[in-house]
Amino acid sequence: MKKIIFIIIFSLNFFNLNSDEKTKLHFEIYKNIRCLVCQGQSIADSNSEFAQTVKLVVKDKINEGKSEKEIYEFLISKYGEWIVYKPQFNKNNFLLWFFPYLALIFGAIIIYALIKKKENNKVN
Amino acid sequence: MLSNTGITLVILTTLLSALIIYKSFTELHIENNFINKKIFNLVTFQTTFSILSFFVLIAGFVISDFSLINVYENSHTKKPFFYKVSGAWGSHEGSLLLWINILVIFSFLFLVFTKHNNKSYLLYTLIFQNFLILGFLIFLLINSNPFSKIYPIPIEGLGLNPILQDPALAIHPPLLYIGFVGSSIYFSAGIASLISNCRDKFFAKSIKPWVLISWSFQTLGITAGSIWAYYELGWGGFWFWDPVENASLMPWFVITALMHSVIVLEKRNSIYSWVIILCLLTFTISVTGTFLVRSGILNSVHTFANDPSRGLYILIFLSLMIFLALAAFFRYSKKEEYNFLLKSKETLILANNWFMFFFLTSVMIGTLYPIILEVLNDTKISVGPPFYSAVIFPFVIPFLIFMAIGPKINWIKNKYSRILSNFYILIASIFLNLLVYFIFGKYSIISNLIIISSIFLIIHSIKDFFIFFKKKNESDISRIVSHLGFGMLILFIGISHNFTVENDFNLKVGEEKKFSGYQINFNSVRMENEKNYKKIIGEFKLVNLKSNLEEILYPEIRIYDQPETLTYEASIKTKLSADTYLTMSNISRSDYYNIKFQNKPFMIWIWISAILIASGGFIRLIKIKMQ
Repeated sequence: MKKIIFIIIFSLNFFNLNSDEKTKLHFEIYKNIRCLVCQGQSIADSNSEFAQTVKLVVKDKINEGKSEKEIYEFLISKYGEWIVYKPQFNKNNFLLWFFPYLALIFGAIIIYALIKKKENNKVN
Repeated sequence: MLSNTGITLVILTTLLSALIIYKSFTELHIENNFINKKIFNLVTFQTTFSILSFFVLIAGFVISDFSLINVYENSHTKKPFFYKVSGAWGSHEGSLLLWINILVIFSFLFLVFTKHNNKSYLLYTLIFQNFLILGFLIFLLINSNPFSKIYPIPIEGLGLNPILQDPALAIHPPLLYIGFVGSSIYFSAGIASLISNCRDKFFAKSIKPWVLISWSFQTLGITAGSIWAYYELGWGGFWFWDPVENASLMPWFVITALMHSVIVLEKRNSIYSWVIILCLLTFTISVTGTFLVRSGILNSVHTFANDPSRGLYILIFLSLMIFLALAAFFRYSKKEEYNFLLKSKETLILANNWFMFFFLTSVMIGTLYPIILEVLNDTKISVGPPFYSAVIFPFVIPFLIFMAIGPKINWIKNKYSRILSNFYILIASIFLNLLVYFIFGKYSIISNLIIISSIFLIIHSIKDFFIFFKKKNESDISRIVSHLGFGMLILFIGISHNFTVENDFNLKVGEEKKFSGYQINFNSVRMENEKNYKKIIGEFKLVNLKSNLEEILYPEIRIYDQPETLTYEASIKTKLSADTYLTMSNISRSDYYNIKFQNKPFMIWIWISAILIASGGFIRLIKIKMQ
C-alpha cells in the first residue's frame, strides 16, 4: 500500500515535465476507462487507489510509445471488455454499432414512402 | 398516529379512484352533453385526499416521527429543515406517493380545463387515468408503503445520503416527475380518443397544453439533475450517459417529437395515428425508465434507490399498459391518407421526428445492449460517453441545419433570396468558427462542423427574432427562443468539451504546482464543525499566469455522521467566461491531497441555454392561455 502511494507521488512529480498536449491525451484516455471498483465512474473522475494505479499504467505505456488502441487492448486483456467505455467492434457488439443506423435508414424509407404517395395521388 | 392518518387517506384515494371508474362507465350510457356534477365532486375529493396524504408524509419528516420506517430510514433530527421536507420524496416510497399525486392532479386539471363538449372522450380519459392511478396505488399499498410502522420506535433516524442533500437535487425529482408522469394524461387521452372517435384537430388542441407542460418541466428536471451532478459529484462533468440519465433522456426525445407532430395534426389534420403512437409511447418509456432505475438492473450512481422485488410489479404493470395500448390502437385505428409535399413544413417536422427516433434508438440500444448481452452471452461490456459521441454527434450537424431552415420553409416564397441568405449565414458561421479556432486552439473536424452548424442555427434564430419584432404575426417567438437555446446549448457544450483545461496531481500543504499557464499554491487546511457534519477546508491560491488574475478557492471534504460518509465538495468560481473547478481528496496514510483542477469555458451558458429551451415551452403555454 505505502509503496503504491510512494510510487504515485514520485511519478506525479516526475511527470511534471509533461507538455499540455500530453496531459490532454492522458485525460482523454482516462475518461474512456471504467473505474472497476466505483459506481459508474471513469478513472479520471475517481479518487480510488484502483484508478490511481491504472492512471500510472496508462502514463507508463504512453511513455513507452504505445498507441491509445494498444493501451485499451492491454487493459482489456487484463480486466476484460467491461473496463473500456467504448465497446470494441467485434462479433458480439456489431449489432450495438449498427442498430442506430438501421433505425435511421428505416425512418428514411418511411418518410420517403409518405412523400412518394402524394406524388402518385397527384398523377391520379 | 400519522401512519394511520396517512394510510387512511391513501385507502380513501384508492376507493375514490375505483368509484370514479364505475361512475364514469355508468355516465357513458346517459345520453346528454354534460358530465354529471357528481363526477367532478369525486375527482375533487380524490385530489384533496391524495394531496393531504402527501402532506402527512411531509409532516412526518418535519416532526421526525420515527415510528414511520420511511422517516427512520431517510431522515435525522439534525438534518436542516429544507432537506427534511425534500426527504419526503428522496426515497422510493415517498417518490411513488409524489408520482401518484401528479397522476391525480393532472387528471383533475385535465377534467377542469378541457373545454370540450365531447363527453365520452373526457370520460374515457378519466377512466384510463384512474386505472393508472389505481395500479400505482395498489403497488404503493402492497409493496412500497411510505406509512409503514416500526416498533419499537427508534430514537434517532439513519439520515439521508449526504450527496442527496443539495438544493438542485431536492427540486430535481418533482420537476422530472411533472414531465414523466404528466405524460400519463395524454396516454389516457390517446386511448380515449381512439375509442370515443374524438380525433384530429380537437384531440390535438386538447392535449397540446399538457404536452407543453410536461416537456418544459422535463427539460428543467434534466437540467437540474445535470447541475446537481456538476456541483455535487465532484468530477466536473454534468452528463455521463449514465443509464439512469439515459432513462430520463429517452422520454424527452419522444415528447419532443410529439410536441412537433401535434402541430401538424392541429394545422393540417394529418398524421393522427403517428401522434397517437407518440402519446402512448411517451408514458410507456417513462415507466420503462422507472422500471430500469428502480429494479436495480442498471449499474449506476443512482443505485441508492433500488430493490429487485419492486421491479417485478412494475414489469407486470408495464406489460399490461403496453398490451392495453396496443389493443386499443389496433382495434380502433383507421387508415389515413397522407398529403405531403417534399418541401413542406410537415415533411420537415417529420424530419425532426426522424432525428428524434434516431437519437432515441441510439440511447436505448446503448442502455439496454449491455444488459441483453450479459444475459445471452455472459459477457460484460460498458457503453459510455465515447460510444454516444461516435454515434450521435455526427448527426447533430444536419439536425441543427434542419432546425434552422425547417421552420421557415412555408413562409419564404422567394427561393433564390432564401438560398442566398442561407449562404451568407453559412459564411458568417464559418468565419465565427475560425474565430473560435484562433482564440482557443485546434480541435477535431467533427467539432468544427458541429460548432459551425450551431452558429448557423443561432444566427438564423437571431434573425427570426428581429423579424418577429417587425411583424409580430408572422413568426412564433416560443419556437425561436427554444431553437436559439438549443443552438447555444450545442455551441457551448462543444466549446467547453474541447477546451477544458484539466489536471490532476498530489500536493502537500505549502507546496505549489505549475502547469498549462496556471499556478496553484496549497496555502492551508483547517477543520470546522457544521450542524450535521464536520468539514476539512483547503485554501488554494490559483494564479492565471497569462492574465495574472488571482483567485482563492476553498474545496471541502465533508464528514457526515448519519450515515457516516465522506463527500468531496468542489470549489467552483463561476464567471461568464469560464468556471474554475477544484476538488481535493485525502490520500490515506499520507500528508498529500489529490487535487483535481479544471478550467471550463462558458459553463454557465450551458445552464442558461437549457433554461432558454424550457422557457420556449412556457411562453407558448402562456400564449395558448391568452387566446
